[in-house]
Amino acid sequence: MAVITCSTPTKPLRAVPAGGLLPLIAPSIVLALFFAIPMGMMIGISFQSQSAGGLTFASYSRFFGNDLVLAGLVRTVIMSGLVAVCVTVLAYPLAYYLARATSRWRTVIFALAIAPELAGVVLRTYGWLIILEDRGFINSALMWTGLISEPLPLSKNLFGVVVGLTHVILPFGVLSLLTSLQSINPNLERSAQILGASRLAVIRHIILPLSVPGIVSSLLIGFTMAASAYATPALLGGAGFKVMATMVYEQVLFYLDWPFAAVMANVLLVLMLAAGFVGSRLESRLHQKLHI
Amino acid sequence: MRYTALCAPAIASMVWAANGNAETLIVNSYGGPYETIIRERIIEPFESKFGIKVIYDAVGSASQDYAKIKATNGRPGFDVVVMTASQSLEGCKEGLLDELSPKEVPNLAHLSSVIAGVAGPCGAVHEVQYLSLLYRTDKLAERPNSWNALLDDGLKGKIILPTFQNVMAAYLLEIYSVAHGGDLLENVDPGFAAVAKLAEQSIGFEQSSSVMETYIKGGDVWAMPFWNGRAQLLVDGGLPVDYVLPKEGSIPLVATLNVPKHAANRDAALKFVNFFLEKTSQEAWVTGYKVGSGRIDIEVPADIRAKQITTEADLKALLLPDLAAVATRLSAWGERWERDVVAAAR
Repeated sequence: MAVITCSTPTKPLRAVPAGGLLPLIAPSIVLALFFAIPMGMMIGISFQSQSAGGLTFASYSRFFGNDLVLAGLVRTVIMSGLVAVCVTVLAYPLAYYLARATSRWRTVIFALAIAPELAGVVLRTYGWLIILEDRGFINSALMWTGLISEPLPLSKNLFGVVVGLTHVILPFGVLSLLTSLQSINPNLERSAQILGASRLAVIRHIILPLSVPGIVSSLLIGFTMAASAYATPALLGGAGFKVMATMVYEQVLFYLDWPFAAVMANVLLVLMLAAGFVGSRLESRLHQKLHI
Repeated sequence: MRYTALCAPAIASMVWAANGNAETLIVNSYGGPYETIIRERIIEPFESKFGIKVIYDAVGSASQDYAKIKATNGRPGFDVVVMTASQSLEGCKEGLLDELSPKEVPNLAHLSSVIAGVAGPCGAVHEVQYLSLLYRTDKLAERPNSWNALLDDGLKGKIILPTFQNVMAAYLLEIYSVAHGGDLLENVDPGFAAVAKLAEQSIGFEQSSSVMETYIKGGDVWAMPFWNGRAQLLVDGGLPVDYVLPKEGSIPLVATLNVPKHAANRDAALKFVNFFLEKTSQEAWVTGYKVGSGRIDIEVPADIRAKQITTEADLKALLLPDLAAVATRLSAWGERWERDVVAAAR
């Protein structure tokens, strides 16, 4: 078996001149004004007391001492993890086809892959509700054919939410994988096949290792988008399926407990930062392990 | 020429707005049938009488509007908002809403003291609904006169409940609590026990009233708790449904007009609130939207009076919880609802 090793360039990259940082000023100001300051305010609110003045850790201790809230956090992690995996697994073959195809169908399939983004997320979620609910298309068809006598539990649960979110996030997974797969030189695959590698071996030893950045990127996008999604879990999850985003909404609008909502939002942010950190560490480890 | 024609209305409206003659008022409330009726029965007569242009904003629910008022510290971009008595009390306590006095809003003096007190000094009660028992007349052999009818074996799998994030749930809990030997606030254990039994025979929970009504429209649900104003719209729509105020009583949904603390057009806002509380306006609203009123001197047809809250006796027959005290317990009740009620439905 031939082993192809790709190494990073040994020549150091040229330092960016001082004037080269100028384009960063505008985005930095926008980020500071519309992201950093509001995030700082939210952190501040999380230490406020709902009833009395002064700073307190009460909302944090309530968060970590409440089994219902912690169950919501665990549910969020499980849901987001499943969505990230489903999105990546489904997006990979599609992205690979788009990266290698030269036929006129490529444009059509690319348009179809991105098409779900043209409709709003609420509209698409209602579409899934019509398909998955007890009186929906699938259950009605199965009951009509006599295959089942009672509706299958396809909505108001984890399954329904994962299906809906996978559909919503799939185009983002395709785009992140496509960029990575397009950067792999097709000659590497041809060379391996000329040297006797089977199609499966090419995929396993060349394409998959070299597309690790795209896979990690797709997993991260899938995880973070699913963890922060509100509309799909709210509509497809039902009353018994609470995740962090829906719980934040409840605290802000119904219970009017903004400090507690801010704690939940901060925990969600930390969760996403942790996912990003784990993802980047995983990517660099795989790089080392696979000698790429 | 074409561009001139296109730009002319925009330029005219800018000039009209700039010369100071156009007093405007932004009213935030609901869409759907509510918007149609309020435009026809309240807004258009108001505009004719005062020459004030009303911009109607139907975006957002009452709780979203309240969150907007809170986030902007009383500068939400609208001058009058329709909310509930609970939000009026909370907003008043937080200094986000203007206090309304009979000196500035003379028609406040004509509201029943029973119901005006529920909303506090920042809310002008312009509408009263109650939690009714809505049922399918083609499915139930007898008219259900008690809340306990929902516990009948014949309704197993044929009722639906609100999630706790719909205020209907907390009121239902309190009603069942009183009906089973508890009270509205301190002893709600009997209420939780009864509602858990109710959950066992429900098909589940929905947060939105508009989604709940699809179940009874489709015939999957035969009976459910529902606000009587919306229930009346279903009756008027020709569905085989009717609703009752059960013998154990009910809790009202007290709708209020509120003026945010820093409303840009405060004077016009106060005129609008006062106009909405006029006797003729209240009669127009009660007969148009088919709801009750906080004014007890209105004259309405007998069929409406029979179904709506329009008299002092009607108001006194209602269960009136201390909404400020309820607000402090909502979080704990919400958690218990998840543990006891939602769990029972699984």
